[in-house]
Amino acid sequence: MDIRKFVVGSFDDEAVLFPAVKKVRKAGYKIHDVYTPFPVHGLDGALGLRDTSLHTAGFVYGLTGLTTALSFISWILTRDWIQNYGGKPHFSLPAWIPIMFELTVLFSAVGMVLTFCYLCQLAPFVKKHVFHPRATDDLFVMVIECTSKTNVKETEDFLAAAGAKEVNVQIAEAGWWLGRYDQDRHLFDNKSETVTA
Amino acid sequence: MIKQQFEIPAGYKKWTYGLLAVGIVAFIAGFIFLGMSKNEHDQTRFWAVLLQNSVYFLLVCNAAMFFICAITLAHGGWSVAFRRVPEAISAVVPVFAILAFLVFLGLILGHRHDIYHWVDKEAVAHDKILTWKKGFLNPTFFFIWTIITLCVWTFTGMKMRKLSRKADEGPMSAEDAKRYTWNNTVWAAIFVVFFALTVGSTIPWLWLMSLDAHWYSTMYSWYTFASTFVAGIALIALFIIFLKNHGYLEYTTREQLHDVGKFIFAFSIFWTYLWFSQFMLIWYANIPEETIYFKIRFQGPYRGFFFLNFIINFCAPILILMTKGSKRNYAVMTFMSVAVILGHWLDFYQMVMPSTVGENHNLGWFEWGILALYIGMIMFFTGRALTKAPLVAKYHPYLKESIIHHT
Amino acid sequence: MSLIKYESFVREPLVDGEKTYNQVTEDIVYTIEAKPTRLWYIGFYISIALLLFGVYSLYRDVTYGIGQWNLGKTIGWGWDITNFVWWVGIGHAGTLISAILLLFRQGWRTGVNRAAEAMTIFAVICAGQFPIWHMGRVWMAFFVMPYPNTRGPLWPNFNSPLLWDVFAISTYFTVSLLFWYSGLLPDLATVRDRAKTKLRKLLYGIASFGWSGSTKHWQRHESLSLVLAGLSTPLVLSVHTIVSFDFATSVVPGWHTTIFPPYFVAGAVFSGFAMVQTLMLITRRVMNLQDYITLGHIEAMNKVIVLTGSIVGCAYLTELFIAWYGANPYEYDIFFKYRIAGAYGWSYWLMMTCNVISPQLFWFKKLRRNIGFTFFMSIVVNVGMWFERFVIIVSSLYRDYLPSSWSLYYRPTIFEIGFYLGTFGLFFTCYFLFSKYFPVIAIAEIKSILKTSGESYKEKMADLENLSVEEFYAKTHDHH
Repeated sequence: MDIRKFVVGSFDDEAVLFPAVKKVRKAGYKIHDVYTPFPVHGLDGALGLRDTSLHTAGFVYGLTGLTTALSFISWILTRDWIQNYGGKPHFSLPAWIPIMFELTVLFSAVGMVLTFCYLCQLAPFVKKHVFHPRATDDLFVMVIECTSKTNVKETEDFLAAAGAKEVNVQIAEAGWWLGRYDQDRHLFDNKSETVTA
Repeated sequence: MIKQQFEIPAGYKKWTYGLLAVGIVAFIAGFIFLGMSKNEHDQTRFWAVLLQNSVYFLLVCNAAMFFICAITLAHGGWSVAFRRVPEAISAVVPVFAILAFLVFLGLILGHRHDIYHWVDKEAVAHDKILTWKKGFLNPTFFFIWTIITLCVWTFTGMKMRKLSRKADEGPMSAEDAKRYTWNNTVWAAIFVVFFALTVGSTIPWLWLMSLDAHWYSTMYSWYTFASTFVAGIALIALFIIFLKNHGYLEYTTREQLHDVGKFIFAFSIFWTYLWFSQFMLIWYANIPEETIYFKIRFQGPYRGFFFLNFIINFCAPILILMTKGSKRNYAVMTFMSVAVILGHWLDFYQMVMPSTVGENHNLGWFEWGILALYIGMIMFFTGRALTKAPLVAKYHPYLKESIIHHT
Repeated sequence: MSLIKYESFVREPLVDGEKTYNQVTEDIVYTIEAKPTRLWYIGFYISIALLLFGVYSLYRDVTYGIGQWNLGKTIGWGWDITNFVWWVGIGHAGTLISAILLLFRQGWRTGVNRAAEAMTIFAVICAGQFPIWHMGRVWMAFFVMPYPNTRGPLWPNFNSPLLWDVFAISTYFTVSLLFWYSGLLPDLATVRDRAKTKLRKLLYGIASFGWSGSTKHWQRHESLSLVLAGLSTPLVLSVHTIVSFDFATSVVPGWHTTIFPPYFVAGAVFSGFAMVQTLMLITRRVMNLQDYITLGHIEAMNKVIVLTGSIVGCAYLTELFIAWYGANPYEYDIFFKYRIAGAYGWSYWLMMTCNVISPQLFWFKKLRRNIGFTFFMSIVVNVGMWFERFVIIVSSLYRDYLPSSWSLYYRPTIFEIGFYLGTFGLFFTCYFLFSKYFPVIAIAEIKSILKTSGESYKEKMADLENLSVEEFYAKTHDHH
């Protein structure tokens, strides 16, 4: 288990969130993550996240599909079981293009989705700590990780000053575990105190 | 300060006049040595090259207007910042229409049955199939429909450009802006409908498919459209990059270039899709009346062009323009645009030449010379059109959207 | 990164009314949390009844054989393949809306994409039934798959368009499903996090895969959506292209024509949009979603209908012209003796009227924004598109090369019709369940356009609208 202490600030407007992210990072706090109800354009850049290379993976999967289709079909029709179909050459590439294309897309799409799920740890029965239930509704939830040096009170005040509507401290599991959302497993004593700004 | 008014740079002028000079010399030499030659093959070559270039570049420039109209109908805001560029390119249409018309006049009144076999009355009378087609393939219909087509393209294109100039006049109220958008939509719709009746169907049959007067393919017109459309977008990209490099078009950024690159990428694939579908269906059914078209191209002396066409127009764009970085890179986009324009010129080369000069094809001084002539003319007339209006339609209702456009 | 939210005042809002992010959630999730209405139950039970009729028809088909259908000597493909192509066609709009309109940046897609994608998946499931059950000995359906077997191994014929279809349809189904479901994850998490009952929390917890809304996850999610959209665009073209290859590769007059691939795709989009229109008009009414599926959305879809209908019309006329121009007597006869005239001539004219002529009425703005007329037309178009396939298939088949095998007039049996009605049952059963248990509108996507295209937010843009271009440019680019 990877249990840590977090200061959680919830914002209700992305226009307030952006400057807050800038300030918090400048002040040297370590942002664990920002949870938003929809993709906020430019937030990844503001948080200093690097671009994803998921699409490159998709390209590689696609090439794999293409190669698989071409080699499989040509092996079957020119070596394993040669047949005369309509007087066409055994190696009749134009007729294979459709399947080659389909397998390219299939491999690419399936591979990418699986990679996506793997990278984001998404699967049935996977559970993650919910910092704020309205993070999937209308709040933008900034989570700051506390290190041994962090002054929790100061952090809370800082977030409130930056425009957070709701600030609290949570001790939570940082990663994922197998679980159900209708059951709370008491892994630890969850103390949270709320400061309304 | 934003440079609103385009002034033709000296270097551009030098290139324009250089290309024009080369082209005119090539044309005159071609006229003397090929057109007036005793050798029939030379004459055919002369006319075939003129036909290929005049039709290709006319359709490419007209595609720029189609681009504007399609985006207007879709209420696209992103491209308004550089809208004057395709407008300027489409301003070449009247000139190229006249040139193409002169070529047609020469072909048909000159009874060039080596180009259009169906103008030979004698041959038609002895050919059951051509007799059957007489209702469509005859000089009268050819001229009437060609004249109507060229006039309507010219007129609707001018109308669209005139409407665009209204956005230079002054701020529009909400009501005015709505009415303005609506007017644009109406004229764009008229253009697009007529475009479908001409480029999307009849015109490629008449001008190009009838070179192989016996042969037919229902896909032919849409294929021709795809070929010239992607080249038209590449031409737009070239002018955008040129203007950016000279400090114009401040509101147009890499974001717009990225989207233009996506268009080139997507329509290259679309062209390939039509190319493959037409080829594969004919190859698969293997009916001699149909395969004859591909026999000379795929197995005969044009085999090299056949594959070159595929490599330049499909493999290159899909591999090079796939990444985000390359579509936002001026050098790569310039390279790809030139490649695509030349690639589709080659596509037209192998549409026209096998049916006319046949085995005696020769990609030599005359072909390159006429290409230079047409490029010079595009540069000359587009450059002139660019100087005539501000480069940005300042009060266009969608301009601000274009400014904050973000891919 | 500019934070400026701006959209031209010429554009109609995409979300009507005063909405906050929370209000969007409330409006859309409401249907999941509330008990279904009486209307929902009526519709659902009718669908189940149709489905049961279909199951019975198939039971007859499997126990007694394909003889239960009226396929004849030359019409070996009749209603079954017509229905197959029809359903596949309908299954094109969803991916088109989500993929092509995403790439073309048409903001209005956000209101309808979720339901359209769901519809796609259900339509493809329905389509798949026809070739499978037409096999007769359906328990051997897996023979189409290329796997090492004890028959040689004997492989399927990779040169056959029918096998291409197997690959195309299954790939399309898989990719559409992935696209749809990956888009659903965040919205299912929204339902999960506000769930009041334990069961709902459990089920939506499982279904949402533990989505948290992390910025990094959103970044990957967007990249995934974009690439899937990029892949789906050629995929959606390829699927109906390959369906058209089933016909066009063969040497049958009326079938072997090179325009078939793009023309089939245009027709598919056409009928798919009509079906989306039918469903959306009902959905917005029954679920009170008029603020999200506005008249503007309906008008935009009608524009796509008139566009694709005209493309299809252009293709019909091209075919007709080339049938004459080609000077091939067999082609000529098919078109001019057996299609526009002949025993099935009525179906050709029905097709022309429904697909090409009547959609032209959508050139009029008043009619595009008339809900009753739109609903009527959406059904007319789908009738027309059904007859298009019927015309292509039956009129090319009923006059063979050998007059001795010319078939009798083809009429379907009650079980052929029953099978077709059964797929309607299947389709609507799935759609009703979907509309009850899933967010019918993409919540997260609506939220991401809310502040640029929401009615109440657009009013606040007046300041930006009144700026001169130079000021606007300076304001939006000051951070550089």
